[in-house]
Amino acid sequence: MKGIRYFWGKSRLILIMFSYLIFLSGCWSSRELDELGIAVALGIDKTEEGTYSLTVQIINPSEIAAEKATTRPPVTLYKAEGETLFEAIRKMTKKAPRKIYFSQLRLLILGQSLAEEGVLPALDLLYRDAEFRTSFFMTIAKNASVEDILSVITPYEKIPANKIMDTITAAQENWAATEGVYIDQVISDIRSTGKSPVMTGILLNGSEDTGNSIKNIESPDAPTRLEIDHLSVFKDDRMLGWLNEAESKGYNYIVGNVKNTLINFPCKEEGSGKIGVEILRSNAAIDAKLKKGKPVISVEIEAEGNVGEVECQIDLSKPETLQMIEQKTEGDIKDKMQLSVKAAQEVYKSDIFGFGNAINRKEPNYWKKVEKEWNAHFVETDVEFDVKVNIRRKGTNVQPVQKEG
Amino acid sequence: MDNNTISPRQFMYLVILFLIGSSILIVPTPLAATAQQDGWISSIVGMSTGVLFVLLYHKLGVALGDRNFIQGSIHVFGNWIGRVIAFFHLSFIYILASLVLRNIGDFMTTQIMIDTPLQFTHILFMIVVILAARLGIEVVGRSAEMFITWIMLLLFFLFFFLTPQLEPNNIQPIFSSYPKSMIGASLTVINTPILEMVVLLMLYPNVKEKAKARHAWLWGLLIGGGLLSLITFFCILVLGSDLTALNSYPIYELASKINIAGFLEGIEIIVAIVWMLTIFFKLVILYYAAALGISQFLNLDDYRPLLLPLGMGLVVLSIIVYPDVAYFETFVKNVLPYKLMHGFLLPLLLLIGALIKKKRHPYKGTSKVK
Repeated sequence: MKGIRYFWGKSRLILIMFSYLIFLSGCWSSRELDELGIAVALGIDKTEEGTYSLTVQIINPSEIAAEKATTRPPVTLYKAEGETLFEAIRKMTKKAPRKIYFSQLRLLILGQSLAEEGVLPALDLLYRDAEFRTSFFMTIAKNASVEDILSVITPYEKIPANKIMDTITAAQENWAATEGVYIDQVISDIRSTGKSPVMTGILLNGSEDTGNSIKNIESPDAPTRLEIDHLSVFKDDRMLGWLNEAESKGYNYIVGNVKNTLINFPCKEEGSGKIGVEILRSNAAIDAKLKKGKPVISVEIEAEGNVGEVECQIDLSKPETLQMIEQKTEGDIKDKMQLSVKAAQEVYKSDIFGFGNAINRKEPNYWKKVEKEWNAHFVETDVEFDVKVNIRRKGTNVQPVQKEG
Repeated sequence: MDNNTISPRQFMYLVILFLIGSSILIVPTPLAATAQQDGWISSIVGMSTGVLFVLLYHKLGVALGDRNFIQGSIHVFGNWIGRVIAFFHLSFIYILASLVLRNIGDFMTTQIMIDTPLQFTHILFMIVVILAARLGIEVVGRSAEMFITWIMLLLFFLFFFLTPQLEPNNIQPIFSSYPKSMIGASLTVINTPILEMVVLLMLYPNVKEKAKARHAWLWGLLIGGGLLSLITFFCILVLGSDLTALNSYPIYELASKINIAGFLEGIEIIVAIVWMLTIFFKLVILYYAAALGISQFLNLDDYRPLLLPLGMGLVVLSIIVYPDVAYFETFVKNVLPYKLMHGFLLPLLLLIGALIKKKRHPYKGTSKVK
């Protein structure tokens, strides 16, 4: 008996120690920071053979944290090809020193040829895999290959992907000719029958040969830069083409994306100097009605703005002058929206505004009938615009600084 | 058994936790898949029918008096037939417990710890559950009282910080999906969790002040069902019905959508505490009910010696209960007859039997514990 008790006394300790092992299973999937290659941008394109070519931009932590300027670039690119996206990602471990970690992804750049062929197959992994969050912008490489765009070293902001993301955000909030879209929005738009997605484009300004070396940021005016372009139009998951600046702005007015932007127009006749109006906020409402069995869309915009810049001699103290400015602003917004709708209806035949969804919301019974061939109906749908602009203030000056005479 | 009572208030909290646990993960997807943007209405409809079931369960609970479902069925139908019914009921509870355990395991391995084998998540979770069941229902009731605050706070936090992302267009047009699909979707809610509430009958004898118990149960249904409907509502409002139906765990996706001015983001794992806790309580209730029921089935004095072996069995069962997630998704859709039998027919049968027995032998009363 004593022996057993003695054994139990000793072995109990060992048993308890062994039982702690179970808690170690909590560390099973542990991944330490120094084992991860943190990806900030991902570029996807198709090769000529039809396989995916993947470019990943990974930050170099030591360069980002370095206090002194170094000669090594802040990010590194890795490329791989694969039959599927996942294969390409896993093949990348052959080249990259660490396993690539995608949770901090800021930017996804799709190559133009992939976009024209259809993006949906490439999006499945990005939405399915738990490592990808949904908070990255989807963009399209407009005039250069994905790789060239990702290899540009940017001034001011060390990490190019962050630079692009910040530029998109700033441009969207202050200029409103672009829109930063997230992956879930794109997927939901593609899958919905009543709306087609848009994505913003990225332009490479300058030569790629200078852009990819550290020399690019040695002078204050970097010779190669990345620029945010206007919106691309999709139909289903295939890219059809691009909107120009006015059309992109018109699109943003219609879908209610405009936060802050600038509108300018000539004071009286052409060549007499211009007036700039700063739009501070705008509200858009898309409504659908049935008139004689045909859907009519009405877009109502209410915007508030300030007089921002006056280049000619007008009497700003009169309310009529402000009314004139309001009317011209309304006209300008209306023109842009009309251009945008015209481009979508006549050139691309794709409902990027979500008019179909608006009809579904208001006239669900009618929608069920036309849903299948909505694109054919969309082309013929009448769109009415109702724009109301209120100019409230005119900055710190009462009158233009222009000299009289 | 020792002093194992819970107050009606604690019982209400347990009902809320029981309703939210695991349903919060699995209900929004089928709701949005069948009823699209009207999924939240279906949810409310399904929850409202829950009132009828609660009334049935309460009536049965009163008719059985101090006996729970297992003791009751043996008492009413005698040693043999009663034990057959009790056996079915116990198997229902035990399998349900393994499914609930698998839910949290599947969630962890899908979203958070992908490389970790399922068993370890289950074992770790089960250790705590066994510990809680060992301490008895009174402790569970009291801890529910403590944790409900956190769950409510986190849910409030989730709803509040999602308000900027609400897209009212997503729920329109209201009432446009076909009535058939709306009813079909509400059946999902009746499946999980309404009919599962029958398990709470195992705790019913422990509730003090029977008069208030019905009230507590109905309030629990109102709050728990309301929160579940609200969660579905938010999923559809923020993600849209299409993406809600596309995601395995839309609530997690919802939580990851929180973004307050770019600095408060990526906090989905904090919101995940809601279902860690609610599933924990649901599992404790199921597990306690299973252990207690089996001990009464076998005429044991105490259920505690059963806890460890049953727990081991549960871990194994939860791994083999379904082979893959697609199987589970099909199972959730088609499980109605099974749930209806255990959550409705057997209790109804028992109620009828108990009432007849009471009529025949009114003098015996129902207070005698077997």
